[in-house]
Amino acid sequence: MSKTGLIIQREYGSRVRKKSFLIITLLVPLIIAGLGFLAMWLSVQETKQVKVLVADPENLCNGKIFVGDNANPPAIFYFYEDYLEPSVFYESGQYDDYDILIGIRKEVITNKSIKVFYRERMSKQTEYYIRDRIELRLEEYFAMDRGITLTEYRRIRQEFNFILENVDPYKTDTEPAQIVGFAISILIFIFILTYAGQVMRGVIEEKTSRVVEIVISSVKPIQLMMGKIIGIGLVGLTQFAIWAVIIGLGLTFIRIFFFQDMVDPSNLADALAPIEGMSPDLLTDQAAAVTRESDLIWIIYNGIPWPTLITLFVLYFMGGYLLYGALFAMIGAAVDSETDSQQVMIPVMLPLMFSYFIGILVIANPNGPAAAWFSQIPFSSPIIMLQLVAADTIEIWQVVLSLTILAGTIILIIWGAAKVYRTGILMYGKKASWKEIFKWMRH
Amino acid sequence: MEVLSVENIVKQYAGHTALNDISLTTKKGEIFGLLGPNGAGKTSLIRIINQITGPDSGRVLLGGRELKREDIARIGYLPEERGLYKKMKVYEQVMYFARLKGLTKKEAKERIDMWFEKFEITSWYNKKVEELSKGMAQKIQFIITVLHEPDLLILDEPFSGFDPINAQLIRNEIMELKKKGASILLSTHNMSSVEEICDSIALINQSKMVLKGNLNDIKNEFRSGVYSIQFKGMMFGFANALFADFSLEHSEQIDEDRAIAHVKLLKDNTLNDLLKTIMPVVNIEAVNEIIPSMNDIFLEAVKQKEGGDHV
Repeated sequence: MSKTGLIIQREYGSRVRKKSFLIITLLVPLIIAGLGFLAMWLSVQETKQVKVLVADPENLCNGKIFVGDNANPPAIFYFYEDYLEPSVFYESGQYDDYDILIGIRKEVITNKSIKVFYRERMSKQTEYYIRDRIELRLEEYFAMDRGITLTEYRRIRQEFNFILENVDPYKTDTEPAQIVGFAISILIFIFILTYAGQVMRGVIEEKTSRVVEIVISSVKPIQLMMGKIIGIGLVGLTQFAIWAVIIGLGLTFIRIFFFQDMVDPSNLADALAPIEGMSPDLLTDQAAAVTRESDLIWIIYNGIPWPTLITLFVLYFMGGYLLYGALFAMIGAAVDSETDSQQVMIPVMLPLMFSYFIGILVIANPNGPAAAWFSQIPFSSPIIMLQLVAADTIEIWQVVLSLTILAGTIILIIWGAAKVYRTGILMYGKKASWKEIFKWMRH
Repeated sequence: MEVLSVENIVKQYAGHTALNDISLTTKKGEIFGLLGPNGAGKTSLIRIINQITGPDSGRVLLGGRELKREDIARIGYLPEERGLYKKMKVYEQVMYFARLKGLTKKEAKERIDMWFEKFEITSWYNKKVEELSKGMAQKIQFIITVLHEPDLLILDEPFSGFDPINAQLIRNEIMELKKKGASILLSTHNMSSVEEICDSIALINQSKMVLKGNLNDIKNEFRSGVYSIQFKGMMFGFANALFADFSLEHSEQIDEDRAIAHVKLLKDNTLNDLLKTIMPVVNIEAVNEIIPSMNDIFLEAVKQKEGGDHV
């Protein structure tokens, strides 16, 4: 085995065999899967009742909507027999009690299009309830209008097109996919910080214990540095792989045992009971819709491109980790003790923290210039890019370009860090200033 | 046979010269003492020989060929600043360093067992280094240094921090390795500690070579011609008898009629001449040559060198 290989083996083995590694690696995913379950469970247990104002100038609904035999319906309907502009609904103040405005215009008879304005996005469950009730009421109207029975009408009916809009024209909703993307960004941030920090502590430990003198009489400093960085990086990847497997199994388990009715059409009969005589294929359509009863559950099981995200996670984690790991190794070599490192670390920590805050901004605006730029800059791209991929606001060439820039920067940083490292690890008794660090780099 | 040759090494750090035109040669089966005060440049030279840093000019030869990266496996280095991985188990640690030196797992295992049995410390295998005392850790470090049976052994301040028992143990091992033919370069600022085991020495002061050569030759060269004479009789008569051929450097009364005097031979006079001169005056009880210590030689050599530089 090559010497670098031996170093990688030691760095990896000594960390993976630690009890703390085992505990964190097994416990964290169980906690994540548990929290995930809780969030999904709460998302289907929603009890908030929304007030829907139906602006119905033609009085098509005749002031009535059949609420079914639900004792605690997710929505209560109120009627307003005139046109109501969404801006008036939003701004005037007198409609503040209502959460949702639905405009039923004369044209609905021909274009089957209904606009729904909301202040806060309702849950899928509430959304389907409202659609269902409105549709049912209007079907009755149409059937009567044409002089046919409701059953006959249902056979020839066309789907209504519900258009959902935020009543505030300036507000774009944060898609749950983006939230998942941000969660992945945070995960990558934590991973980079944790493992790059381990590189630094490892270097400082070798330097302060002077064991480095013995090691570099056998190997080149760059072999030691790279062996350490790669070995610790593999620990990170191992941990991630174990987490991915445990969380994946956990989510599959939760899906099979707790949210099966979201997936299996045969369990839907009860949920859709009020509509009689519905054709079987309509039932299947509805089943597909009800799978989305909870956005979160749908997103987790169907809406996230997991294989792509996991692949990119590995690439960007490795990239970000190599970049920051080399910088942290350099700092570890330049300081004389861990307490000394704080001050020297600031210039390296800054871009990392900055990327994290950019990440928060990007959730609100994944199409903006900040997202485009910071997903290319190598110091922030590992943290920003996955968010954009999850939100699906990025082209493949942008990902390729960003990875290429990242790879190029890593080579440069490792080259510079290695120069500082080989001088720094043998300098005892003093903390190097940034001025000296740059001097070593040029030497 | 030459093992290590250092030729005209110059090394400069920002603002100061660490090594200024240093050359030396060590032979097979020889213990070579690299002596000098702290900060003289010893560690800088050792790091260059270990290829930890490179010289600005000059070259290092091992066995007649220019030193290359692969030669690392032929050198054993015990640094002055020595440490071990605290959390690592003793056996794993020694195995790790042995393999970094290029030994196979099997070779390393055999030799580790051999050394640990020799030092009777096989029960430490599964201890973590942090559980060991300092002296115990030093034994491990020594084993790591010699495990791959290097041709050249470089020991930087090998006795510093060792307790007397371990220091003796290490001294014996060094002598044994010498017998087996290893060339040993031993660096220290504590000159007296190595006098009895070194065959050759080099004295470095302020980055320059002050003196080098065979230890006995050097000692001869720096013989002062001073003898210590213990006698029974009157000091006054003794001093008078010396007259112009000898000088009384120092004297000390032991009791009422016995004294020790340090006498330097002047001109071409021999010890016989001195004895002839004083025999009629006093009763001689003991005569010893006063041999300069390495410390004295160092101080003398530095004085001469500085004197020479100023001319």
